[in-house]
Amino acid sequence: MALNRKVGFLTGLGYKGGGPMWAWVLHRASGLAMVLFVGLHIFAGFLSQQFGSDLGITINQIYTNWIFQIVVFFLVIFHAVNGLRVVILDLIPALLEYQREMIWLEWLIIAPLYTLVLFVIIKNLLGL
Amino acid sequence: MKKITLKLFRYNPEMDKKPYYDTFKLEAEPTDRVLDLMEKVKGYEDGTLSFRRSCAHGVCGSCAMRINGQNMLACKTLVQDLKTNKITVEPILGLPVLKDMIVDMEPFFINYKSVMPYFVNNSPEPSQERLQSIEEQERFDDTAKCILCGACTTSCPSFWSNDEYVGPAAIVNAHRFIFDSRDEGAAERLQILNDQFGVYRCRTIFNCTVACPREIEITKAIGEVKKAIVTGSLD
Repeated sequence: MALNRKVGFLTGLGYKGGGPMWAWVLHRASGLAMVLFVGLHIFAGFLSQQFGSDLGITINQIYTNWIFQIVVFFLVIFHAVNGLRVVILDLIPALLEYQREMIWLEWLIIAPLYTLVLFVIIKNLLGL
Repeated sequence: MKKITLKLFRYNPEMDKKPYYDTFKLEAEPTDRVLDLMEKVKGYEDGTLSFRRSCAHGVCGSCAMRINGQNMLACKTLVQDLKTNKITVEPILGLPVLKDMIVDMEPFFINYKSVMPYFVNNSPEPSQERLQSIEEQERFDDTAKCILCGACTTSCPSFWSNDEYVGPAAIVNAHRFIFDSRDEGAAERLQILNDQFGVYRCRTIFNCTVACPREIEITKAIGEVKKAIVTGSLD
C-alpha cells in the first residue's frame, strides 16, 4: 500500500524553500501571535471590568511587560510590512520578478522602525 | 574524486511498515550528477532501489526528487552544486509514495487535466497556419517550457495541506494557453481557476519558482492569471 501523502508539520518546515518560505512561515506565526495578544487583552479587560479580578491585573502585567512588548512589536511590524509586500506583489505581478529584492527592501523598512520601537521601550525602561 | 555519503529514503510497501533511510558511501567526480550516483547504487550496491528516470537530460521531468531538502531534477543536479559531501535523496512531498522515490503522480495529473491544458479553437480552420507575432508568442514563452516534473506543485505548502488545490504546474499550463493569442478557451479556463481550489490558494510563497528546474517564473505566471480573473482582461 502506498504511503499516505500527508506532509507533517516538521517535514514541511524542513523543506529548504529559503528566505521567501521563511517570510511566509513568520507571517503565519506572527498572525497567530497577534490573535493571542489581542485575545489576552480582551480577556484581561473583561475580567477586570466584570469581576474586578486580580487575574485581570496579572494578565495586564504580562502583556505590558517590556519583554512581551519587544516581541509583540516585532511581530506586528513584520506582519504589517510583509503583508504589504505580498499585497503589492499580488496587485502588480510584473514586480514578482524582483521578489528577492523586495524581501531585502522589506527588512530595510522593518529595521529602522523596530530600532525606533526598541529605543522608546528601553528609554522608558530606564526612566530616561 | 570526492567521497560521498548518499542517504536514500527507502520504502517497500510489500515489506516495510515504515519508511527508513539507507546510507551508501561512494566515490564521485564533482561533475557527476545525483542521478549517476543513484544509478551506481542500483547497478552495483542494491538493485531493489527504485526511482523514475528516462531521458537523464532535464527534458522528460521523470526524476524530480527532494535532494538535500529541496525539489530538483536528479539528472540536472551536479555533486559540486550541492557544496557538501553528504547527499540526502527523498521522494517529492504531498503525493503518495509507491516505492522508494516513486510517487503516485495521478492526483497531480488529475489537477493538470482539470484546467484544459490543450489548444481550443472552434473557429473555421484557416487555409494556412494560424500566424502569431513574436510579441504574441513571447507572452506565454516562459510557461511553455514546463516539463510536468511536479517539482513546483510538490514544493507548495498550499498543495501539501490540500491536494484539491490545482497547484502551480496546472496554473502554469493553463497560463500557457490562456495567453496564447490563437486560443479561444481562456474564459473557460479562468472560470475553472476562479474557484476555492484555484489560483487563490496560492499564498505567494515562491517555493515553486525556486524549485522549477526550467527556471519558469511560476509565481509571476500565477499572479498574471489572478490579475486576468480580477480585471477580465488578458493585456
